[in-house]
Amino acid sequence: MSAVLDTVKRSDVEDWLYAEADILDAWDYDAWLALFEPGARFEVPTTDFRGWSPLGSGSFVTDDWDLIKARVKRLKSRKAHAENPHSRTHRLVSNVRLHAITDPAAPLRVGPVSTDVAVTARDFGDLSHCLRVTASFVVHRARDGRFDSYVGRYDHVLAPADDGFRFRLRRSILGHEVLTAGARLSFIL
Amino acid sequence: MAHLPPPTALVTENWDEQTFRVHREAYRSQALFDAERDRVWARNWLYLGHETEIPNPHDFTVRTLAGRPLIFVRDGEGEIHAFLNSCPHRGTVVCRENQGNAKHFACFYHAWTFRSDGAVSSIPGADAYHRDEAFRASMALRSVARLEMHEGYVFVAFTPDVPPLLEHLGDAADYLTMIEQQHAGGMRTLPGTQLYSVRGNWKLAVENAMDGYHFAPTHNTFVGYLRESGFAVTDDDQYAYTLQNGHLLLVLTGHGGRISMLWEPRFGEDERVRTAAHRAEMVQRLGAERAHHVADESHILYVWPNLLLFDIEGLSIRQLEPVSPGVTDVRAWQLVPREEDPDARALRMRTVVSFVGPGGLATPDDIEAYEAVQRGIEATAGGGEIDVSDMSRGMADEIKGVQGRSIDEGAMRGFWRHWVDAVEPGRWSVTGPRPQSFVTGRDVR
Repeated sequence: MSAVLDTVKRSDVEDWLYAEADILDAWDYDAWLALFEPGARFEVPTTDFRGWSPLGSGSFVTDDWDLIKARVKRLKSRKAHAENPHSRTHRLVSNVRLHAITDPAAPLRVGPVSTDVAVTARDFGDLSHCLRVTASFVVHRARDGRFDSYVGRYDHVLAPADDGFRFRLRRSILGHEVLTAGARLSFIL
Repeated sequence: MAHLPPPTALVTENWDEQTFRVHREAYRSQALFDAERDRVWARNWLYLGHETEIPNPHDFTVRTLAGRPLIFVRDGEGEIHAFLNSCPHRGTVVCRENQGNAKHFACFYHAWTFRSDGAVSSIPGADAYHRDEAFRASMALRSVARLEMHEGYVFVAFTPDVPPLLEHLGDAADYLTMIEQQHAGGMRTLPGTQLYSVRGNWKLAVENAMDGYHFAPTHNTFVGYLRESGFAVTDDDQYAYTLQNGHLLLVLTGHGGRISMLWEPRFGEDERVRTAAHRAEMVQRLGAERAHHVADESHILYVWPNLLLFDIEGLSIRQLEPVSPGVTDVRAWQLVPREEDPDARALRMRTVVSFVGPGGLATPDDIEAYEAVQRGIEATAGGGEIDVSDMSRGMADEIKGVQGRSIDEGAMRGFWRHWVDAVEPGRWSVTGPRPQSFVTGRDVR
């Protein structure tokens, strides 16, 4: 089960995450969508997140595959008023760590967890060939004459592919206590 | 320096010309913001939170309301309190966690300790005080002046001279009851609070919620998403009501499906079957007419001054906290049936979150709109008669006695009449006979 960690190098994952950051900063949303497996999920929990399942809690984003596609379509439209004109973003990714998924019943989360409602690996199908990747991010965003920073942690589930990886779960967990004024998440965090 | 409000009317209502204008100082004046704090927020019932946020003995959460830090707590006997989060000794915030479960709140500064019912449990070196038992009894955590609850919604007031809560809620109370009646087991909030802040005046958030006119242009991408999923969005048969005491209501019947009550194709076949069964149960429990009002209509309810209830696809509670004339904190909770099929819950959360909140497919455009208004109203500052916003839409129908539509601005006009009466009575002007038919509210009881 941990065989995936014998074949995947951290530098490979880092390169892939850096490439994703560049794709998002360039607003190349078709290329971004191609980084997902069909059926994947995208989640941004609320700032008071304590490991809850998106079914047992409110969220900022809890997109299934249809909603990921709808979100991309929306962001490509001139009528996505909250991002017209687009924000300028600049992403930094660091502290990348790879983790084997050894226990399908274990909560997919770093830090303290409410185990009764946490999403477990089992909820994401057969993950024997997948790995969890945690990383830190800082996204700088300029818009409307303002400059905001978003700090947090990625907690992704990646499936290795011929040309890199694919997201099965892409989760961005904010380090903020609240989203400050003007900081709405109309772009991809 | 802030522009002082002009000595003219803040709200101008002209039935001869069929115009309704709001002076834009209402959105940017520090003096008016201060007047709102004194005359609205300090002497009204304010929505504090839902009792299911603190379900167990000694559960607490902290919350700032009208700028005042509070502890919202359930004591060991199950009773709910709202304490000023301030040590009676020298003022320190005694609870510095955001939420949790605690039998005691200890002030770290001088180690005074209070029970979850507010009583003093220890004062170190209390024998240094004259008559220390009486002193100790006088030093309990300070409660808000009034606290009352309706259907689990907890309201507080900072002055005692407010009417009973039910009297204040008036016709709005029944819409809270209708939500509670949606499911036999009642409703509860979920953890995972959307906490965000907006660069706009709080009144713009109220206007936006009551403004069906903006839906199609502002939410063009979301409307497109709904259409692709097989649902035709329509503005037909959707109406706006001004209830008593500043409360407002939109009744939406063409806006979309509602989880477990009104099915539409994007919810899938399993949900169609569940919805039919639930509707039959509702008719048995509530009767056909009540079940119709509860299930077949979407409602957006505004409870003056700080509560918005979006009873649309799912249920969201939104609380407004004005920070300054140009900044508003928003807190939003999801309200769900206490008992719900897991598949229905999954569909509910997916559907609700896809629309509401600062990461949804629609709310960011609303926020963009009222942040853009806040920036744009600076353009006309000091501009005399051009320094106004127009809210005349639908007055022609009102004169004819036709109920205002959700895509008109009648609910907004009701809001501003109540606002000017509460904040700057006398600073408004009414010309011509005002039709009374539209201020009678809506009573489905």
